[in-house]
Parts: sequence; structure tokens; C-alpha cells
Amino acid sequence: MENEFYTDEFEQLLKEKADQFSMYPSKRVWHSIYNNLHPSRRWPSVVISLFFISSLMFIGYLNTGENSITRQINNSSSISTISIEETTPPSQKINNKIRVLSYSKAAQQAEAQYNNAFEDVITNETDFYTYTIVKSNRPPYLINALTASSDIKLSTATPETNNNQEGVVQTVNTYIKSNQIFADIAVSNKKNKTGSSKPSDKNKTENTPYKGNTDDLNLPSANDATAILNTSDKQAETGLTKTTEAKITPDSKDINENNALKAEEKAWIENYAFQNKPAAKKWKGRLGYQFYITPAVNYRKLTTKVKGSATPFANGDINNSISQKPGFGFEAGLGLNYAVAKRLQIKAGVQFNYTNYNISADQASHPITTTILMNDPSTGYSYSAARTSTTSNTFNTPAARPVTLHNRTYQVSVPIGFGYKLSSQDNVEWFAGATVQPSYYFGGKAHLISTDLKSYVSDPSTINSWNLNLGFETYMNFKLGTYNFQVGPQVRYQVNSTYKKNLALIEKPYAIGLKFGLTKGF
Amino acid sequence: MTEELMLSGCLRNNATAQEALYNRFSPRMLGVCYRFAKNREDAEDMLQEGFIKVFSQMHQYRNEGALEGWIRRIVVHTCINNLKKNKKFSDSIDITNAHSIHIREEMIPSIMQAKQVVECIRSLPLGYKTVLNLYAIEGYSHKEIASMLDIEESTSRSQYTRAKSMLEEILIRKKIIQKPKKKTNFLGAV
Repeated sequence: MENEFYTDEFEQLLKEKADQFSMYPSKRVWHSIYNNLHPSRRWPSVVISLFFISSLMFIGYLNTGENSITRQINNSSSISTISIEETTPPSQKINNKIRVLSYSKAAQQAEAQYNNAFEDVITNETDFYTYTIVKSNRPPYLINALTASSDIKLSTATPETNNNQEGVVQTVNTYIKSNQIFADIAVSNKKNKTGSSKPSDKNKTENTPYKGNTDDLNLPSANDATAILNTSDKQAETGLTKTTEAKITPDSKDINENNALKAEEKAWIENYAFQNKPAAKKWKGRLGYQFYITPAVNYRKLTTKVKGSATPFANGDINNSISQKPGFGFEAGLGLNYAVAKRLQIKAGVQFNYTNYNISADQASHPITTTILMNDPSTGYSYSAARTSTTSNTFNTPAARPVTLHNRTYQVSVPIGFGYKLSSQDNVEWFAGATVQPSYYFGGKAHLISTDLKSYVSDPSTINSWNLNLGFETYMNFKLGTYNFQVGPQVRYQVNSTYKKNLALIEKPYAIGLKFGLTKGF
Repeated sequence: MTEELMLSGCLRNNATAQEALYNRFSPRMLGVCYRFAKNREDAEDMLQEGFIKVFSQMHQYRNEGALEGWIRRIVVHTCINNLKKNKKFSDSIDITNAHSIHIREEMIPSIMQAKQVVECIRSLPLGYKTVLNLYAIEGYSHKEIASMLDIEESTSRSQYTRAKSMLEEILIRKKIIQKPKKKTNFLGAV
């Protein structure tokens, strides 16, 4: 009977504490619910997606041209350097630059370490010792910066140190303000203050509407947070404070006096802290790697860029003067996917591409002299350059010795892009995605039509080494246990001509394929 | 916005009313999901799925009980369904020295953070914490739990006993409650 009474008390306690606990969901949850309930109002997502694609294309374009991003970064770096130099006395220029860089990097690491420990202290009072261990490894300037927020040290420090310390304090405060744990604690504390501590029956919680309002939460301000940090800081140095002592049982005083933990206790705490690391789980759950292969049919579109020439080359659609057929190619690659949101993934990887295009020709019995049309880079005017040929165009005449010429390229690309989940049901998801693919062409064959359209000239050196491709795809994703299988159509389009700029012939191939992918999470 | 306005708005698929209802109940419901889920992300997924069900089934709410209770039942069922997709609850997890520790009122300190207790519950094995959540906190009977999780009623009872025992052990380790002193008779002998 007595046992039952105590058991009920224990259950009552669990129920009360669990009911007091609440958390604030991230905004993406409501956005997802909203999109699900009002599918017709999804246009912002579409606009954002289009903007994202455009941005990626623009970045890709900059990478292939003369306006490289590296150059822009160098420019912006020099601007920031100048601004630092302008506001700093000449004697401190170099020192300040080094200090700002090293300080910010070290402060970030220290801040992360400190916050992890602090979070453990808040969520788990016995983890105070873990915090103490972490704290002892903090760089001294972080401790100074945190302590200096009470403005005593700031007033006596040099102006340079003030700036650095204030910067770190602001960084820490910003982090604390945005840290979800404070919202949770605030809710929990609010409930403790205002909520009833009387035991209630099981149905009471279910039948009692929640009276709380999100607006009346007393979230700590930046100053409060700093004050908490300072208090915690001092607590860590002097041992447990009165408040902490009041919260834990009298037995813990022994631990405080000895200032040491039993090996078993320490192992348990460390294990607990390890198992409750949110960052690691978050990272693991979102990242996956993928292998894919896409058999494709390659097409091409030929155009000409002629100035001041009256050859047949310049007249009409050149595609109508060549006997050509699409060829088979493929791409295969490895990539990483990272889910930045519930519906949005970004991805990057490395892929190999083989493209092929077929031309019907007639094998000549002996080499013949011919020309190909080129453009003078300085004047822009076209001119004919002499070449030799061993194959003839068979567009209007039957071939005596028919032969198929293969315009091939071998490429290595770095596709960077995204996938957007359009819909999902059970274990099937529908995605649409796009990639920009800076590509290096490391080999291939190029058969160019001659100026008089009668012969083909083989000249692989005319192939551009660098190019940019765009990939567009839509695919179904099937969840098969720990693996995901993707299948869907894909279009790949080459932005710039296959041939170098001094050629009057412009070739822009595109491929339509079916992609098969296998993804696994880390 | 009053509850009546929210309800009528939600029935008309009004986005403002839906958002108001979501803002009012989502923090508590996320707390519920968090107790069942492996991590915060999973909890948010469960919450999202739960609220979509709430809004799509709003016409079934008959004003017979508190709205929060109705929402809570849907959310809990969503959590269970979500967990059932991946795990079998019939897999019993044995623990050594599973013994019941009697809790005395004086052992429980008056100041105890809800988050600490929730984190302790979450640290239990999946089967244990699910049964404990459903029985001790959500107020379901063992028969209902057995039906929800597709397990035997006796399994639910044994899982709960073990879960409680393990939780007590964790709470003691974390100094949230104190280990009970051995009972003595009036002469002081054990």
C-alpha cells in the first residue's frame, strides 16, 4: 500500500515536470505545414528556387570567364584591408591585421567550446564539472572578454583591447540570445513560477487548455545572458554556489569539497554528454553520399559566326548541310548531398562525362587539301586556313567507302547544385533539381566541316579545355531501408561552344538521359 | 484570438487562424514530441505531421473536451505511428538488477527543472521511454498501449516497471533525487 502511494507520487512528479516542459519549433515547421495546407500559395518557393538557379548559373559563368570569383575575392579582400589601414595608425597596421584574424578565429573556437559546456550546465546541473574542465582550457582573452562586460576592466584596458573584448562579448551574447535552450529554460521557469505545483489527476492536463502565450515569455536579454555567464564563470572557479547547493541534495557537498568525481560518475557524465550532442546528430542526419550513372543520347546544334566572308559556310543553316546522327554517351559520378531544409538539398561532387556524336562521311582514297574557316581575334574578320582531310561530306552524294566519324569528348566536371522536394508520399519522393558543372575537357576528337562544306578536318586541338555545363533533372526518390534509389530524366546543356573562339564554327551539344542514383546517409 | 474564432477560422481553412492555433499549441506539443523522438529534428517532423492531421481533421472535433487534449491525442498517435515505422516495440530490453526503488516524498527536491527530467526520460531505451511516456505522462492504460504498439499487455506492464526502475536510477545518478535509506525498525536495526 505504501509502495503504491510512493509510486503514484513518482508518476505524478514525472507528469507534472513533463507537462511543464515546452519548446519552440523552428520556422520551417510552420512553413511546411502552411505549404501543405495551402499548396496553391507556394509561389514564393518557386521564385526562391528560380533565384537560386540563376545565382548558381551566374557564379558558374563567372568561374569560366575572365571575371573569376577569385579575382573578385581578391578585390574585396584588398578593400577590407584598406579600411582597416585607414582607421589604424601606421605603426599598428601589421599587428592589427594579424591580431584581428587570429583573434576572431580563436574566439570562435573558444565561444563554441564555452557554449557547449554552458548548455550542459543549464540542461544538466551535475555536468557542471564537465563545464569546469572545458572552462580551464578556454583561452584567457575569452575569459577576460566575458568578465570585462561588467565594464570595470574595459575602462582600464587599452582602446584596442576594448574593441576586441567587446567584439567577443557581443558575439557570445548574440549566440546566447539566439540559442534555443534559453527559450526552453524560460518556458520551463515561467511554468515553475506561475504554474500550479499541486498534483493533478491524469485527465486534467488533457482537458485543461494551455493558457500560455508566446509573447509573455521572459527571454533573457544580452546583458542578462552575460550576467549569467559571469555568474557561471565565478561559480566554476569557486565551486558550487548556494543556488546550486539548494537544488541538489546535501550529499553533493562532499563532491564539492573534494572537487573530484569518481571515475564511474565521470564516465557516465561524459557518456551522457556525448550521447546528447545535438550538432553531431544534426550533421549526420543531413549528409549523404551518392553514386549515379546517366546513360544519355547526345545531340548538338551547329551555328556559325562569320564576318566578311561569302562562302557557302556562311549561308543558310549549316545543320542542313551535314549528315549527322545523335550518339550515345554517359555520365557517372560521386556526390555529397546536404539537406539544408526539409525540402531543399544542396549537392556537390565529381563526375566523368563521355559525349559522342556521329557524322556519316566517305573515306577518301588519299589526303586532300582543304580549308576551315577561322576568325581573326584582333579584327573579327573570317579567313580560311589551310588543312588536309581524308574524309568527305556525303550529304548530297552517296559514299563509296562509308565511314562514321565520332565527335567525342572526355570531361571531368564538378557539379554543384540543389534538389527541391516537390512532393512526397510514404517512401516515395519527387524531386526537381539543377546543377552548374564547371568542366575540364581532357580528351576527344573533333571533326570540323571545311569551308566549302565538302570535307571534314580532324583537329582535336580546337576543343576548348574548359567549359560550363548546366544540368536539369527531375527524379523519383525511393527509400529502401538505409539506401535511397533515384531514377528520372535529365537534360545537360553545354553553355559555351565546344571549339575555341577563333573558329567560325560553333557547336553546342546537349544530352538527354535517364539518371540512376543510389544514396546513403552517413 | 479566442479559441472559438480560431476553430471557426480553421474550419474555413483560414491561414491566419491556423497560424494562431499553431502558435498557441505548438510549444507544448513539441515538448510532447521531443519526449518520444530521437532528436529535435525528428520531433519537429512529428510535430509537423501531427499539425497537418489536426488541421485536416478539424471538422471531427466536437467540442466535447478541451481542444488541447484533442490535439495532444492526435500528436501522440502521430509520434507512435512514426516510431512504429522503424522500430518493433515487442523487442524487450532486459536490464540487470531491475528492481523497484520506493520513492519517498522527502527525496524529491522542490526545485527540479522540467528539462532535466525530460532529458532523463529521453535517455531511456526506445521501448522503455515510449511505454513510460504513454502510461505515466499521457495517461493511457496498459491495454491501450498494448493496442497502440502491437504488443502484449503484459509486455507493456513489464516494460513500464523496468523503465521506471531505470529512470529512478538515472535520476539518482544525476542527483535529482536521493537514494532511499534502508528501512529500520524502531530499535534502529535493519
